[in-house]
Amino acid sequence: MTATRHGRFAPYLFLAPFLAVFAVFVAYPLAQSVVLSTRQMFGPTASTYVGLDNFRFLLQDPLFHKAVRNTLVFTAGSLFIQLPVALGLALLLDRPGLRGRNALRLVFFAPQLVGLVFLAVMASVIFQKRTGVLNQILEEVLGDRLGWVLQSGPWLDYPWLESQVMWALILSALWMYAGLNMVYFLAALQNVDRSLKEAASIDGAGVVRRFFAVTLPAITPVAGFVVLLSVVGSLQLFELPYILLNAGGGPDNQGLTIVTYLYQSGFETGDLGYASAIGWVLAIMLAVFTLLQRFVLRGRNA
Amino acid sequence: MKQQPPHTTTTTRAPRFGAGPGWLSYFSLGGWAVVVVALVSTVLVLLPDDRVEADVTLWTFAPPHARMYRPLLDEWEQDGSQGSVSIETLSLPALERRMLGGFMSGVPVADLIEAERRVASRAFGGPVESVGFLDLTDRLREDGLLEAINESSFGPWTYRGRVFGLPHDVHPVMLCYRADLVEAAGIDVGEIETWDDFARIMRPLMADNDGDGAPDRYLISFWPTYIDNIEPLILQAGDGLFDDDDMVRFATETNARVIATMATWVAGPDRIAADVPEFSAAGNKLKLDGYIVAALMPDWLSNIWRQQLPELSGKLKLMPLPAWEPGGRRTSVWGGTMLGIPKSADNPDELWQYAKRLYLSPELSRSLYTEGDIISPVRAHWDDPIYDTPDEFFGNQPKGRMYIDLAPEVPRRTSSPFNKMALERVQDALIRLSREVESDPGLSGAALRSRALELLREAENEVRARMMRNVIATGAAGGSAP
Amino acid sequence: MPTAKHKSILSAAGAYVVLLPLAVITLVPFVWLVTSAFKSREQFFGSMFLPRGDGLLGVDWAALTLENFTRLFSEIAIGRALLNSLFLSSVTALLATLCCAAGGYALAMYKFKGRGICLAIVLAALIVPAPLLIAPGYQVLFKLGLLDTYTGLILPGIAPAFGVFLFRQSVLQSVPPELLEAGRLDGCGELGIFARVVLPLLRPMTGAFLMITFLAMWNNFIGPQIVLQSPDKQPLSVAIAQLKGVYYEDYGLMMAGTLVSVAPVAVLFLLLQRDFVSGLTLGAVK
Repeated sequence: MTATRHGRFAPYLFLAPFLAVFAVFVAYPLAQSVVLSTRQMFGPTASTYVGLDNFRFLLQDPLFHKAVRNTLVFTAGSLFIQLPVALGLALLLDRPGLRGRNALRLVFFAPQLVGLVFLAVMASVIFQKRTGVLNQILEEVLGDRLGWVLQSGPWLDYPWLESQVMWALILSALWMYAGLNMVYFLAALQNVDRSLKEAASIDGAGVVRRFFAVTLPAITPVAGFVVLLSVVGSLQLFELPYILLNAGGGPDNQGLTIVTYLYQSGFETGDLGYASAIGWVLAIMLAVFTLLQRFVLRGRNA
Repeated sequence: MKQQPPHTTTTTRAPRFGAGPGWLSYFSLGGWAVVVVALVSTVLVLLPDDRVEADVTLWTFAPPHARMYRPLLDEWEQDGSQGSVSIETLSLPALERRMLGGFMSGVPVADLIEAERRVASRAFGGPVESVGFLDLTDRLREDGLLEAINESSFGPWTYRGRVFGLPHDVHPVMLCYRADLVEAAGIDVGEIETWDDFARIMRPLMADNDGDGAPDRYLISFWPTYIDNIEPLILQAGDGLFDDDDMVRFATETNARVIATMATWVAGPDRIAADVPEFSAAGNKLKLDGYIVAALMPDWLSNIWRQQLPELSGKLKLMPLPAWEPGGRRTSVWGGTMLGIPKSADNPDELWQYAKRLYLSPELSRSLYTEGDIISPVRAHWDDPIYDTPDEFFGNQPKGRMYIDLAPEVPRRTSSPFNKMALERVQDALIRLSREVESDPGLSGAALRSRALELLREAENEVRARMMRNVIATGAAGGSAP
Repeated sequence: MPTAKHKSILSAAGAYVVLLPLAVITLVPFVWLVTSAFKSREQFFGSMFLPRGDGLLGVDWAALTLENFTRLFSEIAIGRALLNSLFLSSVTALLATLCCAAGGYALAMYKFKGRGICLAIVLAALIVPAPLLIAPGYQVLFKLGLLDTYTGLILPGIAPAFGVFLFRQSVLQSVPPELLEAGRLDGCGELGIFARVVLPLLRPMTGAFLMITFLAMWNNFIGPQIVLQSPDKQPLSVAIAQLKGVYYEDYGLMMAGTLVSVAPVAVLFLLLQRDFVSGLTLGAVK
């Protein structure tokens, strides 16, 4: 697997750029972030030591609690809505004999290319209260039905961007990212051994049984990877709500996410120390989740 | 993919992909496209910039301002009385970012920065010495400008007694109403003195004539989610959000009464308000349809309506705001801009001359009114007959004069950077209260007011906790970067 | 008696019933984007997509206009932003691809002291969440005097850990060690081997990674916002957001701007599509 004679310095030279960038822009800032989190700052030059006060305040900071809650809701939305949709699309695309698979795959993936500003403008047009497309469609289709979902007023007035900001975000993210996850799932599905599926069907298993008994276990590693990616990404949601809500958290801060709060604290209020503290709490949350997922998956694979 | 057998060869040839040309083996077509773009763009980007630098750069955030300044600045450059000034228009967030970047990180900034109130207050987040703008107090005093300019206009730019900006405006607020609808219903607005009068007297306009079970229109454009509505009304009532020492204080009986009233405006059986957003096509359509009768109208907003709603010309009129109690204040304030000089500038005296000349020129004052409907803060200019011209859009009223007459009553505001946070917490309290009114219509009167006070107290404590923990702003510790 | 062929046609048809409407829904925003870019302000709210009129297919073709685009390039000077985006994205993509390929290759094919540590560093870097580094990273750039410079934006992006990881996987999969030996026997220097033997074998992953990093930098909004301040350095992502901030009612203008910023990536994507998908899934389907 490795050669016995080679330039002694070669591997170091090849790795040098990566290691240099890593040292300056990852390792050092990482260490600094620990220091910064114990200070209160106003810009990169003014700071004062406050010990663990940042963390103490963070733990009882209602805005931070709100940010965590919102972020978790969004993550749940991604996990339980976006991923199943992506999987569903992939399953449909996996049918043998389906022509235009590549074209369809391109179509579903295309939203990745547009960028978030467009998504934000479009979302604000779609989710507007009276003139928005979504409400107009809902009014047409649902009319008076399902009125119990609303507390008052017709569908036309449904205030997506006021009280259901999270839903607007989840739906927007669905449009944008379902295609990406679909690509992963599709690749995994296409690697599933066809003979296994045939054997199962010969044994009399129906489509659903076949899915749970053969397909699902076969794609579990990829599914695990996609879930991990999705949760890690969702917990770090920032740019989409930031642009959609015009650099804020939206009405009543319903669209405030952890990283948005981090950014606001660091670059709008100027307290890079508090931002670092938030960053560490986020890192711990991510670590906990990653370990949890490892644990669960290991149990399943046993 | 063809592989070379490992044991032969005297020369190592790169394995080829298919039968394509050799260079395609390293990168695909797309890859080479990236390489080409990288090379070409690097060359283009590094080309020296042959732009001529202007003598002075000015940042603003509103295209109309830029349009007003340009002819004046060009004229003064041409007659040789001053140098060239380049104006750059940025969005407010960009302006804020670059201003702060300049103050905190030394990134280059313009020579003159025109900052809106929310952006400017960011500069006042630390001790007085750390403010990135030049302290103009002494210069203003020497030039007699502290008296010559409307007093309340200095409010948002005054920090710890020092003034850091030259005011751009006064921005009194009046109530704009659909005169066509009101007069057709035989209502006399002269009878309206207070907000309670307003709700009572205008109510017949909310009749349900098309039988769909909902009022055909609402009386006032006001919604808790539109935060800019809330502050003018609170300021009008008198207590404001901060005390004279810039410490947060808004949990008062007066404010509780204001919030309680607002909650009944938007929820419950006495609802008279509707959500008709400014700066939106959807909102404009609703205004044209007559979905609301009245709206808060600072001077600058009348210009926006004039531009975006020409169909309403002649149908609107202005009146002083109904007061919160008999004999109370009949105006408020909304918005504000200042011109500041960054401390990092090399030639502050020269820049001060530029700033004064632009902002205090009679030509600009006239321009502000004719093009922006904005009244100047310079008291000497108030004699200009231009303010008395009947305004066709507003039913031939002498709009400018009406606003100027209200100028002495315009409330003075704080410069605290915590103002936005305080306002947001008040907004949260209002939203919660509105929800409670919606679900319990019986909640009213004294009970409603005391609940409002409760919510305001909670909100105030939260803001105070944050203000207190901010040791840097209070200058309690003077640390330096680790 | 349903044959296998009948069954597969049926199942495919069933799939189409669901897929096609969804595909249409997914594409609707794009259609809106393109049609809006060619509508003037007055026309904008007159119709959802194309302006109604007396022309072919009931569309008023004459009402379509290029004025949004001309305004973009003259009044708003978006040409500079476009150039900046092209520069930042292509240079970062190129440098990142070369650095990560080199790093991945070294980790995969060489045995050297410290290999274990380097591998551990790569894995650790994968775990560190980016938001944690924003605040101290800004301070580092400030101290190095790299704020408001292109370098300050490009440099941190030229060696993402996941890139090294991907390339390592790719090298392990696609590069037979015997070839390296052959190269050495022929007297090729290590760099020569890397350039002439290894890189071609990595072509799909190279294409994929170029696309990934190009797209990431192209759509990167917060980075440029924090690091770059001068307007003549700002890329399209920030310029379009600026449009939204200043000309918020001018939807036609904003859509034209978006179209300008989508077009180059779309072209690149069409060229690199196959590589992109295979590279993307390489990391997942281990």
